[in-house]
Amino acid sequence: MTLDRTRDALTQLFYRGGSIVLFVLLWQLACSAGLAPETFVASPVVIVETLWSYILDGSLYRHSVVSLSRAFYGFILAVAVAVPLGFMLGGWFKSFERIMGPLLTFLGQFNPFALFSVFLLLFGIGEVSKVAMIFWVAIWPVLFNAALGVRTVDPLHVKLARSMGMGRIRLLWKIVIPSSASFLFSGLRLAAATAFFMLIPAEMMGASRGLGWLIINAQVNYQIPKLYTGTLVIVVFGLLIDLLFKLLEKKVVVWKEAKVL
Amino acid sequence: MAAEFGQLSPAGAGAPGATGVMGAFEPPKSLEEKEAQSFSRRVMSWYGIIAFLALWQIGPWLGLFDARFIPPFSEVLKDGWILIRTGEFFIHVATSAQRALLGLFGAIAVGVPCGVCLAGFFPRVTRFLNPLLSLLGSINPFALFPLFILLFGVGEVAKFAIIFWSALFPVLNFTIYGVVNVEPILVKAARSMGADRGQIFWKVILPGSIPSIFTGFKMGATVAFLFLIAAEMLSATAGMGYMIHNASVNNYIPRIYLGVLGIALMGMGMSVLINRLEGLLMSYKEEAAAS
Repeated sequence: MTLDRTRDALTQLFYRGGSIVLFVLLWQLACSAGLAPETFVASPVVIVETLWSYILDGSLYRHSVVSLSRAFYGFILAVAVAVPLGFMLGGWFKSFERIMGPLLTFLGQFNPFALFSVFLLLFGIGEVSKVAMIFWVAIWPVLFNAALGVRTVDPLHVKLARSMGMGRIRLLWKIVIPSSASFLFSGLRLAAATAFFMLIPAEMMGASRGLGWLIINAQVNYQIPKLYTGTLVIVVFGLLIDLLFKLLEKKVVVWKEAKVL
Repeated sequence: MAAEFGQLSPAGAGAPGATGVMGAFEPPKSLEEKEAQSFSRRVMSWYGIIAFLALWQIGPWLGLFDARFIPPFSEVLKDGWILIRTGEFFIHVATSAQRALLGLFGAIAVGVPCGVCLAGFFPRVTRFLNPLLSLLGSINPFALFPLFILLFGVGEVAKFAIIFWSALFPVLNFTIYGVVNVEPILVKAARSMGADRGQIFWKVILPGSIPSIFTGFKMGATVAFLFLIAAEMLSATAGMGYMIHNASVNNYIPRIYLGVLGIALMGMGMSVLINRLEGLLMSYKEEAAAS
């Protein structure tokens, strides 16, 4: 019985991480055997060494804090604008949705890189243009998911609540927000991922600190291990942000399981 | 419904950002809603866009914003007309479209057969490789930009590689997801009626995974356009990204806005095209509903 369970756990582990471990091993072997040219490919061991030295001298912490705070400001601004707008779009005011829906869809198609030139023009090359770019990309997932969430609220619940004399504010708070919460959360998760995603090119285009700058600086100075280390750090942060929002959703949206039962 | 939405995207399918950035606004339509979509309603849906353009046009005149930084819409159109007359506009559009399509088709040509074969014939291998594939898909392609430039230079090959790489993972991951998640009852039913492996593959698994595969196409196309512009801004001598970059370097403001609008329209056209194609291929769905 316990043997079976350990075997199951091992199989699970094998399927979960086996391929990644294998990939890293092959990579290391290829580097050690000289199959991969050192000028282009840094071996995992070198990457970990570089990473460790960055952690020790504190530069990793410095760059991460700068990058994360930029992403955070853009994200928070986007959420503050998009959630109310999304609720209005989702059905609070029917005509508002009909008029604004197509326009917002069109605006959502605007390529963030194309707009970066515009943002530079309007806000200069400082922090504001970076935050504006992150704001721009983070706003759409929240907006559209909030609208979708409101639209999927069971009309029966709304009618029931209204017939029991619930006011508009309480209706929003007690019915609309809880029933659309899982959509809202997937919007938030997507927006956070997008914000961090766009942060990197924004920092590549003009910054003196941050993870994107780290990479572009490594490229300009032809420091290959640094390049790979920066990429690794960005990947890890992306995964962590995703995980954080998944956990947060589980903590906040506790009533979701009850529905399935 | 909510749970379904959550499952819609396989973990780390390509660039997470791209869907959100350019995700189309498609409200789920009920039957009554479709019937009620009369002429006046369709006209109404243009009001917002027209009002936006009107505001853009008269904004500088009203003193809302500076015409040097946000030139009125008519100036943008005028510049567009100049470029169309000289034919330069079509060169940019064609170059960009060619690059995006080449990368996207490359990704489809590799991703779909690989995904179908992996998930269809080697389910264990697929399960083993899945974490690696989603990890690779979740690597920010921007972080890889410098690497691609080191490996492939700054020419067409590098642009193709960037677009191919970024579009490959959404296509591949959604294909695998679609094949793995084909309704098991359908497969069992076909098997119990004596279908052999080939028949099950062609008649059940492939049609069953088409919706997911098309979701992958859409995400791949969105991502391809996103990175096309970024790649063209880094280094190019033609294309929409180059047009914007060049205009921005030369401080020719109306052309920046022209480029922004042009790219948005191109992206929208692409998604319409893919939706049409999906409608054509998915015609069996309606037949099934009618019978």
